[in-house]
Amino acid sequence: MIGVGGKIKQYSSVLEKPLSKGRQEVSLSAFAFLFSELVQYNQTQVDNIAELERRLEDAGYAVGARVLELFCHREKGNRRETRLLGILSFVHTTVWKVLFGKVADSLEKGTEHEDEYMISEKELLVNRFISIPKDMGTFNCGAFVAGIVRGVLDNAGFPAVVTAHFVPMEGQQRPRTTILIKFADEVSQNIYENLKRFIISGNWKGHLLNKYAIKLITVSLET
Amino acid sequence: MAPVVPRSGDAVFANVERVNAELFTLTYGAIVRQLLTDLEEVEEVNKQLDQMGYNIGVRLIDEFLAKSNISRCVDFKETAEVIAKVGFKMFLGVTATVTNWDVEGTTCSLVLEDNPLVEFVELPDTCQGLYYCNILSGVVRGALEMVSMKTEVSWVRDMLHGDDAYELRVKLIKQVPEEYPYKDDE
Amino acid sequence: MQFFGGSAAAEMTPSPAAPPGTATGLAGNNANMLYIFNRNGVCLLYREWHRPLHTLDAQEDQKLMFGLLFSLRSFTAKMDPTSVDKGNLGVPLLPGQGCSFYSFRTNTYKLSFMESPSGIKLILVTHPKTGDLRDALRYMYNLYVEYVVKNPLYVPGSPIKGQQAELQGSSRFERVEGSGQQVHKLPILDSNPIQGKTNSG
Repeated sequence: MIGVGGKIKQYSSVLEKPLSKGRQEVSLSAFAFLFSELVQYNQTQVDNIAELERRLEDAGYAVGARVLELFCHREKGNRRETRLLGILSFVHTTVWKVLFGKVADSLEKGTEHEDEYMISEKELLVNRFISIPKDMGTFNCGAFVAGIVRGVLDNAGFPAVVTAHFVPMEGQQRPRTTILIKFADEVSQNIYENLKRFIISGNWKGHLLNKYAIKLITVSLET
Repeated sequence: MAPVVPRSGDAVFANVERVNAELFTLTYGAIVRQLLTDLEEVEEVNKQLDQMGYNIGVRLIDEFLAKSNISRCVDFKETAEVIAKVGFKMFLGVTATVTNWDVEGTTCSLVLEDNPLVEFVELPDTCQGLYYCNILSGVVRGALEMVSMKTEVSWVRDMLHGDDAYELRVKLIKQVPEEYPYKDDE
Repeated sequence: MQFFGGSAAAEMTPSPAAPPGTATGLAGNNANMLYIFNRNGVCLLYREWHRPLHTLDAQEDQKLMFGLLFSLRSFTAKMDPTSVDKGNLGVPLLPGQGCSFYSFRTNTYKLSFMESPSGIKLILVTHPKTGDLRDALRYMYNLYVEYVVKNPLYVPGSPIKGQQAELQGSSRFERVEGSGQQVHKLPILDSNPIQGKTNSG
């Protein structure tokens, strides 16, 4: 609860202020209006839809990067996910739950491509109030959320191309939004790099590691 | 039909859908960052934030009126109280205090002790002239203009600049009567 | 057409039988038209469900409707017997100043009206025997807030268009009238054709 007791606390620096527990709330409309303004401002800065989506994604990226820092600190005691599925489920569960108040509707692996994953949401918060005029074609405000996802993944060492799409659903008036995550080819390489860095740092003690990791540890300790 | 009773800020806030304040705070941070990149000059960013706030205020007023059941805003003093106690609470989950009325009753201060916009924020040396929360002054100005009160809103205290609270000075310039909008007939 | 006919006149004049095709006989919609104006007189939304007679082009029609409301509000405030603060006729009122009316009825239709302090005006024209629609209008104002105002792509002050206005907006607006009809089962006669609601303090 915010504002209880009406205290005035002054911290000489933001660093001295205890990090909040993240339980404060604002009204959904406050966010909706702020987000509207983000969209409207960026519309004045671009010539086309792709550019608009890119700018929304950039804004989201900045949010995602901070979300990772904050949540890792708070929820995971500064441990970072180093497994691909681990980080994906972190996004699908923790990130979604804290930011949007619920776990994402689904996390699926693409059937056509090995390195594709999809997070789907029946009604994504940012698309809740939107109606896309015909002349804006495939524009999807979900680009902002795609940016958040990319920000989290990238800063956790899993660069990916993340995009938002409307997917029509049978029997539903409104399409659902799917966030498509396509890991860059270097991702698998990255997992290795990450693990190696992690292992060298010595932070792995006490973690549950899979066989692959144990083998890697052995290898890297030997080299 | 029973008369419609205006609702208290707490009652409205308890009944509206809410989101985590961090999503809001971080999104606002992303907006400020974008503006700093696009506009470069801190003064321009202040202006743009105020403009964005104004745009929000123009929209937000209707939600405010609809949800709070307020059917008229005529008296400035009354309106300032409503903004502080219901408006801020309903949207940001915090209340403001109305103080420092001038003798004419046309200028007052809204003091905020809690401000969800500034969680995690510290102004870097290059942005000392930035009014990080300038969007709020724009919102107040825009919303009041929609209920026919033309105002000037400015910051007099800002915790990011080392003050002990956030204080917005709101000055009523004039109340604008409703004009018949079509010029070409009587 | 009578605006100010007393209740006796209203009762004596039999309401016309619902023409074939009007929804009055059917469950659901008995609305004729809906207008939403903003404070600058821009018609944000116009919908009609049953309007066999058009005498003006749409723009003229909207202007006339807005003008009617504008003048009527000024007149009702001026004629208010209970208030000292009534302003001068023709001198613009502050929104919320003086009393306001919320419906009038002729022998052929009823016009229900709601104005927010921000100057959004909702007008619903229905069958003359429709009951109190103030709740329905307030509900519509809420819909306007939810589905129009919060749409990130909506530019305030521009006419409401797009898929959402079609799908969400008006179908819900239609449903409101449907529910209005069910809540206020016909026939309900208001005691006064013009109900002046005096806003005191």
